[in-house]
Amino acid sequence: MGTLPLSRRRFLAGSGAALAAAARPGAAAAQGRRGEIIAGLSERMLTLDPANHYSISSTSVLRHVYDPLVDVTNDDRFVPALAETWRPLNNTTWRFTLRRGVSFHDGTPFTADSVVFTLKRVRDNTKLIKSFVYQDIEDVQKDGDHAVTVTTKRPFGSLPAHLTMLGMLPPSAGANDEAFFQKPIGTGPFRFGSWTHGDHIDLVASPKYWKPGIPRVEKLTFRFIPELSTRVSALRAGEIHVIDRVWPDMVQTLKGTAGVKVLDTPALEAQRWHFQLARDPVKDLRVRKAISLAIDRNVIIKDLLLGYARPVVCPVPPGLLGHTNLGQKPYDPEKARQLLKQAGASNLSLDFVLMKDLYPKQLEIAQAVAAMLGEVGVKVNIRNLEIATAREQRTAGNYDLFFSGWAQMPHDPDWYFGQWFTKTGAEKLTRFSDPRVEQLIADGRVPDPKVRQQKYEEIDRLLWEEEPEIWPYYTVAIYAISDKLRNFEARRDYYVLLHEVGIA
Amino acid sequence: MPGDPAKMLLPEGAPQSAVDELNRHLGLREPLWIQYGLFLRSVARGDFGQSFQYRSPALRVVVERLPATIQLAATAMLLTVLFGVSIGVVAAVRQGTAYDYAGTVLAVLGQSLPNFWLGIMLILLFGVTLRWLPTSGFQGWTYLVLPSVTLAAFPTALVARLTRSSLLEILGQEYIRTGRAKGLAEPVVVLRHALKNATIPLLTVIGLQIGTLLGGAVITESIFAWPGMGKLVVDAIFFRDFPVVQTILILSATIFVVINLLVDVLYTILDPRIRYG
Amino acid sequence: MKRLLRSPTAVTGGVLLLLVVVASVAAPLLAPADPVKPSFGRRLQPPRLLGGASAYALGTDNLGRDILARLLYGGRVSLVLAASAVALAATAGVVVGLAAGILGGRLDDFVMRLADVQLAFPVIMLAIAIVAVVGSSPAALVSVLALSGWVLYARTVRANVLTIRRLEYVEAARTLGASELRVILRHILPNTLAPILVIGSSQFATMVLLESGLSFLGLGIQPPQPSWGAMLAEGRDYLSNAWWLATVPGMAISLVVLGANLLGDGLRDVLDPRL
Repeated sequence: MGTLPLSRRRFLAGSGAALAAAARPGAAAAQGRRGEIIAGLSERMLTLDPANHYSISSTSVLRHVYDPLVDVTNDDRFVPALAETWRPLNNTTWRFTLRRGVSFHDGTPFTADSVVFTLKRVRDNTKLIKSFVYQDIEDVQKDGDHAVTVTTKRPFGSLPAHLTMLGMLPPSAGANDEAFFQKPIGTGPFRFGSWTHGDHIDLVASPKYWKPGIPRVEKLTFRFIPELSTRVSALRAGEIHVIDRVWPDMVQTLKGTAGVKVLDTPALEAQRWHFQLARDPVKDLRVRKAISLAIDRNVIIKDLLLGYARPVVCPVPPGLLGHTNLGQKPYDPEKARQLLKQAGASNLSLDFVLMKDLYPKQLEIAQAVAAMLGEVGVKVNIRNLEIATAREQRTAGNYDLFFSGWAQMPHDPDWYFGQWFTKTGAEKLTRFSDPRVEQLIADGRVPDPKVRQQKYEEIDRLLWEEEPEIWPYYTVAIYAISDKLRNFEARRDYYVLLHEVGIA
Repeated sequence: MPGDPAKMLLPEGAPQSAVDELNRHLGLREPLWIQYGLFLRSVARGDFGQSFQYRSPALRVVVERLPATIQLAATAMLLTVLFGVSIGVVAAVRQGTAYDYAGTVLAVLGQSLPNFWLGIMLILLFGVTLRWLPTSGFQGWTYLVLPSVTLAAFPTALVARLTRSSLLEILGQEYIRTGRAKGLAEPVVVLRHALKNATIPLLTVIGLQIGTLLGGAVITESIFAWPGMGKLVVDAIFFRDFPVVQTILILSATIFVVINLLVDVLYTILDPRIRYG
Repeated sequence: MKRLLRSPTAVTGGVLLLLVVVASVAAPLLAPADPVKPSFGRRLQPPRLLGGASAYALGTDNLGRDILARLLYGGRVSLVLAASAVALAATAGVVVGLAAGILGGRLDDFVMRLADVQLAFPVIMLAIAIVAVVGSSPAALVSVLALSGWVLYARTVRANVLTIRRLEYVEAARTLGASELRVILRHILPNTLAPILVIGSSQFATMVLLESGLSFLGLGIQPPQPSWGAMLAEGRDYLSNAWWLATVPGMAISLVVLGANLLGDGLRDVLDPRL
């Protein structure tokens, strides 16, 4: 899976004693559960249905109520959850063996029927947000109560990765969807308590979770606080214990607050500003290269993000399958001017479209880029639009450069490549089309990680050369927590996972 | 309205086929007038449709927000009337004194400080530094203090200025002079006679502010993570969650009509000379 | 006019407003630096005038730009937009309010219910709809702002008319044969001036804020061009570690509102026929 220079950069909070306790499963169980943790998340959870969203905050919250078949660690290793083992039988068949002795919150046992039900439901009910990802599933068959075989219409190497985001439901949920999700049950470490839409959700510890010693608190509350300054204030006032998506500028204030700790880790996210590749003048490779050369990424990283970002060396961020180090893109305004001259592009004027308030400091960064491009004679019109309008404009092709980012969910680059660099995926977005890349993406869908790594490295190189996007920086995820929390892990995927976290 | 609900629900990199499929399920492939007709028919049956973003009945999503919305609006209204009228009366009676100027400055600040500025400063002072009051959320009366003060600042200032100017006008009129000449005590003149006559424009403005407080507290609600209707409707608009938007519109239009009818009725009670015909 | 110049309140208010307007008009002459060009090494320097240790009178913003320069240039945009929106809203509101109050009947009912329904529509939704129909332009922005503000005048004026037209001296004027128009112009309009001035001066600040709130519809001023509203919005996320970003434009708005309030008070005193 490539080199993992960053995997050591796992940031564990908490005392040595807590770490020791975590290392010995069962030790915590003897101590018993106590206390309550309140987390403040930046994004509102929209649904209790694990198949009906692609939101990071919903994934975080619902991971406490439902277990998936496969979990993913912070260093991007896939580890057993409800599935004990999984392996490909051939390019289009996966076999999962299931954990025994697991039961749902109402006491019914977890079996292969749950897996068959959950997978067929997400494939067949096309109303569900995740349905389109699972259309490649041909069939799901149980093999006794504790094994399942999944056959797919074409190779589906990223299936285990996708399954980390899909909580398993009891087959009884099928009788009446709406009633079930009023008071849902799963096999997870917490039971559902109550939910006020857009405000908060209460969870209570499940007494008989299959992982011993977990959870470590009695009650868990997630509050949804989109306003950054409010999240920070609530943490500083001691009202909540953990917040996500802290801005670099807030770190100083938070570090100066007694009882508060700040944690950061390189995120599984590359910022990517994509070009409208069917539109003049940016469909000219020389113009794209010139724009790339004129942007001083180090200024953005050091001066605007205060070092809380990393230079990009590959479209796929480090740690993930498909990453390889291609070196940083240079900053060379002189060469940019030459290239623009060669391309015969004078008096260039570009529309740079932003989705309002979506990415931290985006307006500042866009203004900085406008100034940098101004230096080489390119005029940038910043168009900071409401999200729905911005996406409408993108579909219509009314932009030159579009400010966006890609968090590599679900820990596999197949989605990113398949969506943005195939003809059908990109036709209403960037208008990218390259048969070589298309073929490599298809070849990279097989289960064999060695084959995939090799195909993806080839794609990386082609994209690096073609510059269909500007990759300005990898994001750094910043969290702030109360120093009472034990064993909190700052996740690279922005999840806030608290089942193994205790409170003093 | 431009924008595509399915696109807002699906992740940024969802294929167009998924967008089309979801729009079909949401009933958005029909021509607009059919959609609207269907909506009106179900509203008549008490069904406001399903919220696109929450996948729950729109009416429930909206009604869930009512308690917090009403508490905040009512408290802010109370503060507005209490402080707005008192500051205005003092400023008018003591026209040209230090009280009057202090009132003016206070009112100017109330009118020109952006809500978020006041809100964040209050949170930093009373929530973070002094820790007297909770910073955000909705759990008990202590949670109401900071948001309602923030929300009341603007209408209080407006009401104070209006009270002052209306009172000054009336205090100059003959029947007041007559009252004074007859030897009525000054407080009686001001409170019984003048203030009563100044209420009509005040009442109008206060009536209008109630509506603003109910649905327009967007910034206050987001600064204090207050689960009210103002933020809900704006989020719903951005999300193109049409059922929720329509439900709130119907609800708030009703509230407006009722409140302003009440204000009109109050006019005739306060001033029997006003009649409608 | 002479009486206006003798009123200390009016003069103070007028001078304040004049100063702000002149400063904005003369921005290219007064501004100490380029209001748009970032200088990354000098971000977030505190204002010297308020105790900071920097070379910048009002400090620098999140891109190292001189806040004084941005304030001066931003004033040009904000003053024009907000003032024209207030004027448009007030004119429309007063006309509608007078008509409803004086003519009464069906027209009154219709206009007032229309006002209710319009108030129920969030401004943002109105704005999105208007942009969808007529596209984004400064004129569209001013109409959105005005549309959000006319009801307050209309209802206030109408309420005043209902009271005033029953007052004895108005009845008397009518009995003496004054035409309806004359009654309106001589007696009713001057009497509604006080609340209109109060509402107008307070609405100015609301309009500046709203202008920044609408910029993401492509309606307002797009960065990096400064406007007071945009400066406030940009400063919002820095309030806890660089308070001056939002506070400085806030103070500029307060100054204008104070000036408008004082001038309004003075005007009212001078114009009031009975004083």
